[in-house]
Amino acid sequence: MKKLDALFVGLLLIGSLWAFIVNTASNTPTNRIQPCDIINIISQSDKYITTDELARRLMSDDPTLTLIDLRENKEFVSYSLPGAINIPIEKILDNEYRDIINQDVQTVVFYSNSSDLAVKAWMLTKRLGYKNNFILKGGLNNWVETILRPTEPSETASREEFERYNFRKAASAYFGGGSATGEVSTSAPKPKVAIKRKKKQAAGGGCD
Amino acid sequence: MGPLYPLGIISDEINMLIGFFIGIGFGFLLEAAGFTNTRKLAGVFYGYDFVVLKVFFSAGITAAIGLFLMNHYGYIDIQSIFYPKTFWIPTLIGGGIMAFGFLIGGFCPGTSLCAAVTGKIDAMVFVLGIFIGIFFYAFTYEPLWETLRNSGKMGKVNIADWMGISDGLFIFLMTVIAAIMFFAVTLIQKKVTSKRDYQL
Amino acid sequence: MDRSKTYMNSYLAGILIGVFMIAAYYFSGEGLGASGAMKAVVITAVNDINHDYAKEAHFFKARVKDEEKSPAKTWLVFEIIGVIAGAILSAAIYGRLKLQVVKAPHITNKTRLIAALIGGILFGVGSQLGRGCTSGMVMSGMGVLSLSGFIGLVAIFGGGYVIAYFFRKLWI
Repeated sequence: MKKLDALFVGLLLIGSLWAFIVNTASNTPTNRIQPCDIINIISQSDKYITTDELARRLMSDDPTLTLIDLRENKEFVSYSLPGAINIPIEKILDNEYRDIINQDVQTVVFYSNSSDLAVKAWMLTKRLGYKNNFILKGGLNNWVETILRPTEPSETASREEFERYNFRKAASAYFGGGSATGEVSTSAPKPKVAIKRKKKQAAGGGCD
Repeated sequence: MGPLYPLGIISDEINMLIGFFIGIGFGFLLEAAGFTNTRKLAGVFYGYDFVVLKVFFSAGITAAIGLFLMNHYGYIDIQSIFYPKTFWIPTLIGGGIMAFGFLIGGFCPGTSLCAAVTGKIDAMVFVLGIFIGIFFYAFTYEPLWETLRNSGKMGKVNIADWMGISDGLFIFLMTVIAAIMFFAVTLIQKKVTSKRDYQL
Repeated sequence: MDRSKTYMNSYLAGILIGVFMIAAYYFSGEGLGASGAMKAVVITAVNDINHDYAKEAHFFKARVKDEEKSPAKTWLVFEIIGVIAGAILSAAIYGRLKLQVVKAPHITNKTRLIAALIGGILFGVGSQLGRGCTSGMVMSGMGVLSLSGFIGLVAIFGGGYVIAYFFRKLWI
């Protein structure tokens, strides 16, 4: 019996030593972002969606699009993109939003005033292994500049640029930006976006 | 990649079935280790039987090592499993109440259930008591307990983070301390039981 | 030797319980628990008797929102049914299935039963207030290195040692 006891306690000690060694050997705990990961993530170029692309998808009522507004609720209420869901950046990891952000079907686009918060949110969610998440390039500032108040290209500009300008002018009218010089509408239409949730149960609680 | 059910990999029914089989294992082991005998349980506080301490710590340490390694090698996502949130004030007070419950009644909920179904009348009374306690708590929840229960909120706190050391180091230290404790309690038990017969 | 006095090696039992705990986490993301299932039973009973009350009272509200699903149909309840089956199985194998009152030699059955009832009531209240009992909060909490598990450990066992002296008549 004595020998058996020593064997089992020894097994526990070996196991814990194993945990200790792998923890120390990897030096940085597994749940921390390592520098090489950050470089890999930053150098990915397909993480952005341009304002033109977003406008096109919004205008075609693309049902697979989920817009996430990362700003404070106050800012969200005063102006937001059509159909956007407000998840302030500090709540991005909350369980209640996980189904919205982490799923395969929808294209999730993060935005804030610039692309600052969106990049942070994107890095976080990328690190968690979430797919199909994108950043609105230039954020709302860029949205206003390019879509709501497009500037007319100079006469020597290429045909492409004129086409883009025409598209933007149409988009501007669609999103209530009015003419290129008009006021930004504060009551953009907000069609409800149906969110297809991946089946996911919250982990329950032992005794509680 | 686990956990399987919260990630939607297995269905509701399979999950419940697995719960049933895991329960069988848990119940069998509790009984086989002697947890249905209230005298063996209470012995931990009087030095004549340390089975509770031995089983309890080896179980906790095994789970901690296993889950740490599985998380490390990517088999389970420790963030998506049941992780008790820390509310230190109610846990401390509730723990204190449970300490009295243990010393007076001689069981805890899991062990009392096992003991009750294997014929221990005292355990049946204890289970009845638990239900009375929960009913009492439920009907006096709003005036008496609600504020207290939600005080001292700290969220999901990992003890190793809280102490500022790595998980692996914490597990290792905990195991070493437990091993020393196992050795010490074996000596204590030998000494205490040599003086008189406790007729377990 | 009397078979009913034979027990499994404590460390082995502990390690195997640990393995089942890992399995519970791996398959279901749940910790092993007991008082949670008892709570579910209480909630179900109250909900069946008076649904309108359960909908309003804060203690029950969160669990009875879903009209379709019975609050008793949870993982923990199935787990506890398994625990009962497992305990009976083990007791049958070791020959410990016997109707009896287990107590220290110097106290009466009546004392033991009254103490058990009081202890049960205290555990019922304590486990609800402390958000879990010894298995669900402390043991499962230890497995995931949750601070609350260790606070519970100190409170229950530490508290136990502090007050053990006053209740020694019940046990030795």
